[in-house]
Amino acid sequence: MKYYLQLTITLLIFCAVGSGILAFVNAKTAPVIAERKLAESIAAREALMPQADFERHTAKADSTFEYYVAYNKGTKEIKGFTFIASQNGYAAPVKTMVGIDKDMKVTSINVVEQNETPGLGTNSTQPFFTDQFKGKPEAELQVDKDGGKIKALSGATITSRAVTNSIRTGIAVLRKDLETDSNAAKTGAEK
Amino acid sequence: MSFISELTKGIIKENPIFVIVLGMCPTLATSTSVDNALGMGMAATFVLVCSNIMISLIKNITPDKIRIPIYVVVIAAFVSIVDMSMAAYVPALHKSLGIFIPLIVVNCIILGRAEAFAGKNNMLNSMADGIGMGLGFTLSLTVVASIREILGNGTWLKIHVLPSTYEPMLVAILAPGAFITLGFLMAGMNLLKGRK
Repeated sequence: MKYYLQLTITLLIFCAVGSGILAFVNAKTAPVIAERKLAESIAAREALMPQADFERHTAKADSTFEYYVAYNKGTKEIKGFTFIASQNGYAAPVKTMVGIDKDMKVTSINVVEQNETPGLGTNSTQPFFTDQFKGKPEAELQVDKDGGKIKALSGATITSRAVTNSIRTGIAVLRKDLETDSNAAKTGAEK
Repeated sequence: MSFISELTKGIIKENPIFVIVLGMCPTLATSTSVDNALGMGMAATFVLVCSNIMISLIKNITPDKIRIPIYVVVIAAFVSIVDMSMAAYVPALHKSLGIFIPLIVVNCIILGRAEAFAGKNNMLNSMADGIGMGLGFTLSLTVVASIREILGNGTWLKIHVLPSTYEPMLVAILAPGAFITLGFLMAGMNLLKGRK
């Protein structure tokens, strides 16, 4: 009995020391990581919409959907919007950073996170796939198999669909939110 | 056994993949391209060396009956520390190796070496064992990945090595290709061994 108690306590001590060290490392690194992620997402937004000031909004109907309104640096006019579109691909969620101009047409996209099949779905990050989104309005954002204007990657229709459909859904949510909340977006009153 | 022989045995004689047949999951999953293989290999080697050193240091205070849970705690803590500090201080490296780090916790080479070697040997030899096994793992992974990437994508380390007329054998980079490649390589290793 005493022996087993001794084993239990030994294991407990090991676990306590381990979690203590982890808690310490986490406390040290968490703020640095958060800061770096923030800087990264700012850089990603600026790559899509150069020379702009951004303002964060959360969609009224869907609190998980965040978008940024981009204002021209000089004139303070609305230049466009950016958001992260996400939908499950073949393996894991495919996340795409999307830039939209004020007429709701795609300016450019950048697949920022994916874990698709190498050689097939991973081609979704290549310019020959992402470039075809430029200038497309919401209605044309469907893969060719579904009657849209986006040429799906061969062998990776599921990935192509995930990217295309997530962007289309994102634009729809954004448009709806701007309609119900047009003042905020126009004047930038909501900070 | 001397330091040098501990260091070199992992590369061919006791190769973790082809001879001991440990760490199959990461081998099958990350051998789709050579840069993935190198990334996984380096990350695993690093953790393997650290955990081997740590476990051989605490072997005298580790009760035999509960050594496995203690190894798991040590390895998991190490992996988390590596993950967090890499994300915070070397973001570029974390970006390319980051996805492999959580996979290392379940890499049985690390637990296997802790159990089979580091728990019974001194720190220096355990470190040599970790380095050797890590190199053997990296090397074998790179060989599997080279075959799969060249056949399946026509490239090696993203550089085109086959003429553009080559139609890639997609099966090589899909999951079945991993099993087939691994099978042929193991058969080849056994053939070479049998000849001796």
